[in-house]
Amino acid sequence: MDHLIHPIALYLGLALVGLGLCVALPRAKVSPQLIGAMLAASGVGVILVLMGLNARDALPNLYFYVFSFVALGAALRVVTHPRPVYSAIYFILTILASCGLYLLLSAEFMAFALVIVYAGAILITYLFVIMLATQAPTEERTEGLERYDTAAREPMAATIASMALVAVLTGMLFTGSMELEPRMAGASQDALLAQLPRRVEDAMKDTGAIGFKDRIVDRDGDLQIDVEGRRALVAGPSGERWVDFPADLSPRNVEALGFNLLNAHPGSIEIAGVILLMAMLGAVVLSRRQVEIDEEAKAQQARNLMEGRGAEGQA
Amino acid sequence: MMHTDFFVLAQQGFPEPMAAATLAHYLLVSALMFAIGLIGFLTRRNLIVMFLCTELMFQAAGLALIAFSRYHLEYSGQTFVIFVLTVAAAEAAMALALVVLLFKKRESLDADEWTEMKG
Repeated sequence: MDHLIHPIALYLGLALVGLGLCVALPRAKVSPQLIGAMLAASGVGVILVLMGLNARDALPNLYFYVFSFVALGAALRVVTHPRPVYSAIYFILTILASCGLYLLLSAEFMAFALVIVYAGAILITYLFVIMLATQAPTEERTEGLERYDTAAREPMAATIASMALVAVLTGMLFTGSMELEPRMAGASQDALLAQLPRRVEDAMKDTGAIGFKDRIVDRDGDLQIDVEGRRALVAGPSGERWVDFPADLSPRNVEALGFNLLNAHPGSIEIAGVILLMAMLGAVVLSRRQVEIDEEAKAQQARNLMEGRGAEGQA
Repeated sequence: MMHTDFFVLAQQGFPEPMAAATLAHYLLVSALMFAIGLIGFLTRRNLIVMFLCTELMFQAAGLALIAFSRYHLEYSGQTFVIFVLTVAAAEAAMALALVVLLFKKRESLDADEWTEMKG
């Protein structure tokens, strides 16, 4: 397959998306967001339909279209909504829709980690800061928006620059990814089962292949699991025997991800920990409030402390 | 003619390799999300919304990583999304502390208020 989509058609579609985005950005007067969103959505729709026509035997499933529509629509609202609180809430919607896409890509652990970390922690921090850094409404200005929220800065130039970037990126990706061979097509992670004795045991117990007290034989750290033959040596009250794996036994997403994280990138975890620690220290130092106490107050505090200690000593 | 898996969740055929055309669909969505975040970062003046837009760009990068991870059936892509999450969390903590500090000084979230460093 040479072209998934003709470059001219791709660029025209992206121009339509850019026009829609440019129209939808907030302006000082009226900003026709609905028209802009519809233009952008039609641009994306044209590109997706043309791609679908050329890739009829490899379409992503229906949920992909639903989730990506929600994700991109909510992302558009994040960028265009004049009120920061709504932007943050639409961002949560983007996160949830991306989690749907992650699930479609069989990354279950990351999908739920994303909900917990992003929607649960980071966005709540954003909402707190929006609450902290908002001016209280005054007598004359109760229901107004700040000027810097309602007027976008250089919408035309930003849109053109971004859309040119996307046009180049997608053009390269589409021609390049067609020639990219998958690295381990069809390779399964079953080799990991040799290090997961409890998982194998539990799967066997679930199917009733072994009894409750049976254990996989461990000869001085050498587990008797034969992954290639899909069987394991099990010791029970009636002696040792080879038991076949259940048919659908394979490592789960979390197990494979955990092995990859700790086997392939052990140093990166340490660095990530240091980054988080530094961020915490930095945030504490930045947001600390310095309390100025003059000499008189310090002396008074010291006297109070001395008196309190003296009273304790007498008692 | 429609693909038979059109209405089926993807995990059911998980160890099977994903077609390159399907990968391209995900990459398109990722690129568009990145572009929307970039436009927001360039055009909005509210400091908090600007940082929200960087989070949007992190999201897009994560989606591309996960799509490639699925395409190659290689878990390092998902592992790197964990590090992207870490960096995003650290960035949010630092950036928001700075925003609160700046807001205390000028009572405004306008990025154009802070132009002293402009040449």
